[in-house]
Order: sequence, then C-alpha cells, then structure tokens
Amino acid sequence: MDDLLAEFLTESNEGLQVLDNELVKLEQNPNDPELLSNIFRLMHTIKGTCGFLGLPRLEGVAHAGENVLGRLRDGEITVSPEIVSLILECLDRIREILAALEATESEPEGDDADLIARLNAAAEGKASAPEAPAADEPAPEPVEMVSEEESQPGDASEPEAVETEAAAEATVEAAPESEAPVEPTPETPEAPKPAASDAPPAPAAKAEAKATKESAVANQSIRVNVDLLEDLMTMVSELVLTRNQLLQILRTQKESEFGGPLQRLNHVVSELQEGVMKTRMQPIGNAWAKLPRLVRDLSHELGKKIELEMRGADTELDRQVLDLIKDPLTHMVRNSADHGLERTEDRVSTGKSETGTIVLEAYHEGGQIIIKISDDGRGINVDRVKEKAIVNGLATEAEMEMLSDQQINQFIFKPGFSTAEAVTAVSGRGVGMDVVRTNIEKIGGTIELTSTQGEGSCFTIKIPLTLAIVSALIVACAGERFAIPQLSVVELVRASGASEHSIERIQDTPVLRLRDRLLPLVHLRDLLHLENDFTELTEEQEDVRRDDFIVVTQVANYSFGIIVDRVFDTEEIVVKPVAPILREISLFSGNTILGDGSVVMILDPNGIASVTGEINVTDKAEEDAQQEVAHAEDRVAMLLFRAEGNTPKAVPLSLVARLEEVDLAQVEASGDQRVVQYRGQLMPLFTMEGSEEPTSESGRRPVLVFSEQGRNLGLMVNEIVDIIETPLNVELSGESDGFVGSAIINDAATEVIDVGYYVNLAFDDWFGAGRQATADAGNGRRVLLVDDSAFFRNLLSPLLDVAGYQVTTVESAVEALQLCEEGRDFDVIISDIEMPGMSGYDLCEALKTKRWAETPIVALSAHSSPGDIARGREVGFADYVAKFDRDALLSSLDETLAEMRGAA
Amino acid sequence: MTQTGQDMTGTDLSNDFVTFWIAEQLFGIHVLKVQDILAQSKTTPVPLAPPEIAGSLNLRGRIVTSVDVRCRLGLPPDTSEGGGTSIVVEQDHDLYSLLVDSVGEVLTLAADSFEPNPPTLSPAIRQYATGIYRLEKELLVVLDVDRLLDYGRSAAA
Repeated sequence: MDDLLAEFLTESNEGLQVLDNELVKLEQNPNDPELLSNIFRLMHTIKGTCGFLGLPRLEGVAHAGENVLGRLRDGEITVSPEIVSLILECLDRIREILAALEATESEPEGDDADLIARLNAAAEGKASAPEAPAADEPAPEPVEMVSEEESQPGDASEPEAVETEAAAEATVEAAPESEAPVEPTPETPEAPKPAASDAPPAPAAKAEAKATKESAVANQSIRVNVDLLEDLMTMVSELVLTRNQLLQILRTQKESEFGGPLQRLNHVVSELQEGVMKTRMQPIGNAWAKLPRLVRDLSHELGKKIELEMRGADTELDRQVLDLIKDPLTHMVRNSADHGLERTEDRVSTGKSETGTIVLEAYHEGGQIIIKISDDGRGINVDRVKEKAIVNGLATEAEMEMLSDQQINQFIFKPGFSTAEAVTAVSGRGVGMDVVRTNIEKIGGTIELTSTQGEGSCFTIKIPLTLAIVSALIVACAGERFAIPQLSVVELVRASGASEHSIERIQDTPVLRLRDRLLPLVHLRDLLHLENDFTELTEEQEDVRRDDFIVVTQVANYSFGIIVDRVFDTEEIVVKPVAPILREISLFSGNTILGDGSVVMILDPNGIASVTGEINVTDKAEEDAQQEVAHAEDRVAMLLFRAEGNTPKAVPLSLVARLEEVDLAQVEASGDQRVVQYRGQLMPLFTMEGSEEPTSESGRRPVLVFSEQGRNLGLMVNEIVDIIETPLNVELSGESDGFVGSAIINDAATEVIDVGYYVNLAFDDWFGAGRQATADAGNGRRVLLVDDSAFFRNLLSPLLDVAGYQVTTVESAVEALQLCEEGRDFDVIISDIEMPGMSGYDLCEALKTKRWAETPIVALSAHSSPGDIARGREVGFADYVAKFDRDALLSSLDETLAEMRGAA
Repeated sequence: MTQTGQDMTGTDLSNDFVTFWIAEQLFGIHVLKVQDILAQSKTTPVPLAPPEIAGSLNLRGRIVTSVDVRCRLGLPPDTSEGGGTSIVVEQDHDLYSLLVDSVGEVLTLAADSFEPNPPTLSPAIRQYATGIYRLEKELLVVLDVDRLLDYGRSAAA
C-alpha cells in the first residue's frame, strides 16, 4: 500500500477514536468551547487530509459532519443527544469507508446523500440564527469537489480564528513564561487555507492542548512493524537463555578470565531485555479506548445513567497481553453496565445517586498488572447464585451451606452461569465470566471477585507484565526437574518429621497444617505418575525419612501445596510452547531450556488446580497470602558495600543503575576530578569522603554507577558485600556530607549514603564544563524541525538526516521556544506555518526578540501563494518552501546557510 | 539444508532417502525431510505423555520432541543397550527427533524398484508406510514423516 495512504489510515483511525471519546465528553459538558474546538479540529483534519489524497466520498461525509460541528462551536445550534448521535453515525460511516479503503486501496462505491442531507438539516434546520451561510454550503456532492474547495476557506476563516485563540489560551496556561503572542486577530485574513494545509493529521494525543508534555512523548515516536518487535523479542529471549547458560558455566569455574566480560555481557543483556520489553509495552488505555463510547451507547440502550471512570490508563503492559485482555475487559464492563448497575428508578429508591459509576483502574504491583473493574450497583445476589449453582448441579445444598458468600460468588466463573434475569442484547447469554476467566488464565493471570450485596462488586484481575519471559521456581521430583511460574507461588514450606510442619494424612489424602489451617496437598510424583527410581522405601517410610518441600501455590482463591523433592533457585525462563503432540496434557503450560542446557517442563498451576478439584476454596488462605505480600513490600533491597572505615555502607539498590569494575589504570584525571571512559562518555569517579586514595595504579575496583538524566557518575568503593532485602529505618540523621543516616541492616549499624550529594558534586564540577565544551565544538549543521504533524516530521527528518543534517524535531512552537530557553542552538530552523496554538508566523516573531534572533528560519507550508510568501518575508522568514518539494527544501537550506556564513 | 530438491552440485535429490534400522528392518525417509542426525543425547522425559514420546531435548537452543519410532510402529521395546540414534525432522515449524536403532547410508533409489505396500503388511506399519523399495539384499520400507507425526489423526484412528 502507498505509504502516504497507510499513514493516513492509521492517523485517521486514531483521530476517530479520540473523536468518539471527545463527543461523549461533549454530551456531558455541552458548553465546553475548548472541547468543541478540539472536536472541530480533529474532524477538519480528517476532511482536509482526504481532500488532499483525493477521496471525494470521504470528504463529502466529513465535510457535512464538520459543518454541523462548526455550527455547534459557533453557538448557532446547541448540543443535544440527537446531534451527537448523528455525528457519531457520521463517524461510523467514515470508519466504514476507511475500512474499505484499507482493504481495496480505493474508495468504495456508495451513496451518502441521505446521511449528508440529515447532517445538513441538522446544521441548518436547527440553527438558531438562520443566517446567510446556508447559501454558502451547497449540499456537498462528490462531484462538486472543486467548488467546495473554493467555498470552504470562507467558512473556515472564522472557526480557525476562534480555534487559534482557544489553543493559544491553553498554551499560555501550559507555559506562562513563554511570550506567546495571543493575537488571533491579524490572523483572520490569512486564515483561509485549503484542506491540504491542515492535512497533517493531528495525532490523537494532541487533542488536549494542555497536555503538551504528554503529547511530546507520544510523538517522539516511529511506527515499527509489530512482527519486527516480536522477532526482536524472540532473539533477545534466546540471548537471555544463552547468557544464563554462560553464567552457569562460569559458576563452576573459580577463576576465569571470562568472568569480567561475562558480567558485562550479563548487564548488557539485562538492559537489552528490558529495553526490548519496553518497546512492546503499550498503555492499557489503548484497550480502554472504545469503552467510553460503549458505555455511552449502553446507557442509552438500557436507559440507565452510567458514568465510566478510568484511572491509570497510562499503565503499560506487553501488547500481546493487551490484545488478549481487550475482549474480556470489554465484556466485563458491558456486564457491569447491564446487570451490575440497577435501573435509575431502583437506584433512587434505594437512596443511591441516579448515576451509576463503573470504575476501571489499572496499576503495577510487584511485577504484575492489577486491573480492577468495580461498580456501585446491586452486587451479586448470593442467594440466586446459590440457587443456580444447585440447579446446575455444581454443588449440593449441603455443600453450599458450608461456603462463605465470597466462595459462593466464585461460582459465577463456572461455565453456563449467568445471573441476568433476562437475556438482553447486551449480556446474559450464558457465555460469560467463564470465558473471561479462561482467557485471563490463558495468559497466566488470575481473576477474583468481591461483592457486597446492595453496594456493588469488584473484579480484580492480576496479569503478568509479559508472557515471553517469566520468572520460575525450579523444583525436582523423582530426579526430574520442573519449573513453576513464580507468579503462582505464594511461599515455600519445608516439611519433615522433625520440623513443626509435617505432612499429615486423612485416609490417603495428604494435608498440611499451616498457620492453623489445613492446606490441601498434591504429590507431584503422583500427579505426574513419576516412578520413584532411587529408593526402595515404602511410602510411609519415605514420608518420615525424606524432607519434603511444599510449594504453596495459589490459583484465584484456591491455595494448595505441591509436594516436591527438592527446590532449586528461581530462574528467568523463556516459555516455549510444547509440541502439538503434548498439548493435551493440561498440567504443562510449556517447556523451556534452563541455564545448563537441559529441557524442563513448565507446570501449569491452573491445570493442576483443576485436576485436583478446586472447590475446596479457602478464602482465608488468600487473606493470608495478601498479608504476606504486603509484608514483603515494606522491605527495601539494599546494596551493602564497604568503603572507608569499618562501618558497612548501604544504598537502596533501586538507585544504583549498574555495578561495574573499573581498572585503575584506565582512570584519568581531568583537573582534580578523576574520570573514566565509560560507554563512550567520560564518567566522573568519586570515592567516599575520607576513604584512602587508591595507592596502586593498577588493579580493579568495584564502582557503583548512578545515572541521572542520562549522565553517569561512578562511586568507587572497596568491596561490594551483598544485596539484601531489609525493612529500612534510617535512625540517625547523617552529620557528614554524603550520608542520609544510619540504619541497622543485617544486625550491624550501616551508613546509608546520599546519592543526591554525589550527583550534585558531579553536576557542578564536571557536567557544567563538559556541556559548554561540546557546544563550542559542534560545527555540524544542526536543524530544528518544528511541525505539529508526526507524519511530516517522520517524512522530513530522515530526509534531512540523509542529507547530512543533525535533526532535532519538536511538535510545537512552544517546545521550540523551550529549547531556545534551555540554551540549545541550531544553525537553521524549519517551521511549519499552520500549527495549533502558536503558528509558524508567531514563532518567527517571538524568536526575533530572543537569543535565536540571528538563526534563519525557513517556513514550510502546504500553501505557497504569492501572498503567503510575501507575508512570510515580512515576518522574517529566510525562505518559504512548499511542504512536498523536497529538493526545494534542501536547496533552500543550503542557500540559507551559505548566506549566513557569507554574512558572518 | 536445501529445500529445492537439488543439492549444490545440482543433483536431483528427489529419490534420495536416509535409511535406518529398527528391529533389523530397513526403513527410509526422504532426505529433504531430514535436518540433522544426532547421536544419543540427553533427553528429558515428559510425564503423562503418550508412550511413544521419548521426551524433549535441546538442539542448539530449540526444543525437540523425541519420538520413539519403534514404539510408534508397535514394535517391542529395544532390549539391547545400544542407545540408538536420532533423526531430526521438521514438521509445521516444530522439530521432532525420530529415535531409531541405527542410521544407515543415504541411498538414491530407482523409481522402477518401488512397489506399493503389500496388503498383508501389519496395519501398524502400513499406516505410516508409503511403499517398499526392492534393494538387492533387502527391502526398504519408506515411511511418511507427515503421517508418522500426525498425532491427532492416529489418535482418532
């Protein structure tokens, strides 16, 4: 497919997604002018771009929609649910056409006259002041493309100005110190621009002008094919395995010359793994994007007032995981709206607010993502669940009596279980929570439900950050090793005849008394029908004689213990699917290659739980497990080391970027500052206050590397002692510089160092000077490209790069001004003219009064009429280049720079 | 390994077979199917797997499922302590190693010595065999790897 078209499709779809949500917001706040401006601009962008690409049908629909929005914004008609629905319909039509466009690369046949007529009727019929504009707007038929193009600038001039004002306001809010000239008035005569001028599809994130920072991050990006990332991930996974194998070999050799390089490789691979994982991360908000519209539609359909609150939409998780939870989440929100929340009248009669609330929440916790979906509806009706469970034969009445309400609630995860009274279009079709649960468990996650009748229910989903690499506990049984995903392991208990924990039997069923409760146990050996090939003992004797390890495992609310012979350490493993022949064995979720090169099977706790029967729900065990987790979180990983004196030193491990060893022979002096070459940079080195200077000129010293805003500094120490997890209570405030205070760690008074102190030292003494030097040295031609469209930035920046320029891109004039403020320098600036907020003209004018007054600015516009060029010259642009003329741009840059050199 | 049916010298490989022995019977599989020949290597048994699955092994970072062909063909287990050799084949992007008693040479066989399975051949062998080649000294049974590894089908059968 044509790259331009592909880019257009992607960005338009993003725009549509934002539009959906913005419209729903608009319905709630009909009087928000900024919101309206945003919506108008997004629609305008879509329309403009398709005009530019020659898509008349699409343009016709978009144009009609834009008309209505224009009227709304100008206050000529008012926002009503009907109008919003109509516009949403218009968006759906655009989507349809886009989908066909994607499939066939050409616009589908079809007639939109009806929709357009209705849109126009909405725009005109309801206009409070029936003014002339109606005449200006011929019903946009594809054939009349050209006339429309001509008539449109007149229409657009006014909205454009308003928009500029609104955006400029937002800009001022965002950066009060920048001298953004808020002068939309002179712009009005210039505003007429054809569609193409606004063609750069505004990226979704920019919809909120206030969120300048956020959108800057979003737009510092390139699009990469997902397959490529997948391949990279696979390769990194293999690399991790190989590294593990090397480290394993290293462990068996006391002195090895490979030690140093391997440690280095170890660090690099870890970082690479982390980096590649990050590239696959996407904010969970992407999976939520469709929900506001869904809830809005549902609330209309069901006649309920529903508010959807979304928190933590920027929580990131692996896109593979994201894809897999998208549908379950949608299903659950739909469920909450349909039968979680009561009807409005029921709510009022029970004294609740009319509007029901569904809260979606996501956050990271202990290497997992927690997603909560809660509503303040009626909660689960325990009696009905009971009834239904008995009717469906899932449990007997007697069994039911034994269960707590929370345990009974878990039945809704059983197949064919729906408590909705009536099958509605929305839910209640009996495919429900069991499918959700299966899907979540498929990705190694768990789902739990808590519910209070009359007050609402809350689903908690825990899922791993990524599927590709998991941390697993390696255990052995009957001479074979197995991996158990760490995620499901709650704790390890050693059971032997002598210790307080011993395995007891009820008939043949082993159980364990653990903190005053009975934990059901399964023997891995029995489960897997493993032969016991190394003892001749009878089973009873064995139980007494051998120490057994019990891996306490939790699946949803069900805790159970797996008895194994031995427990090794945990290892990061790459989950590989098993051969199709073995897929039927539900006890394994995959297999992997361990550090020593051997293949082991990965046990699937979900499979084991279902084989052993999970009706023995013990919800107290769960509480316990949670306490355990909470306890663990109070602890901080500290790096213990020795420097000067006898007192051990410590620093929170999270502050340490890396541990390195530095060859003293490579330490150089720069002034009175010691530095070492590190990753292509000079890294300043410090020693602890008062510690003896390294006397010898050779040998290696361990160095703690701290990283601050991309700059490294090293703290040389004598010895790295250990990393331990400890509750951190700093007891004495430090008296000397460089210490936070003392803490008792490992039963010894330990000084906790203040990393900030060293960073300040390094920053003042060294970085200040260093930066100056590089700025003076730089004589390459540095180009600053200012363009609000990611599309054009992506288009131009490689071009300039190839032509030998050093390119920096920013997406708004405000950011360009920030760079100026920060003291960055460029040889030439290329700026787009039409940008939301501050335009290119404004930027050019603003810069005249600043440090960059001498830096030539080349204007870039899709529109280069003589009038525009004249105005450009007037404002002070060195040159004016059409956006699509690459050669003109390059030669203009050349000339401009040559002129500058000539003048200087 | 070339996939085009021609090796680098341009020789036609379409009638080349890797031969191996199981229970003193000569078998052959198409040479283009074969990725590798392994001597006995460390195999991890897979509990609960069907009996013909000898286990999994690590071949240069890829996990290979080892299939005991003797068991698959319904022949009695190998009582000798020889250990055996594995022929690695790829099937639908998964690697399998076929555990056999010993591997013979690669033979180029003339099409005119090929005959369909005799109807009296034991069903266990017949379902995986495509036919027989008449060699000078013995008979070679050609096995179809796809069928041999099509677990779903044979389980249904």
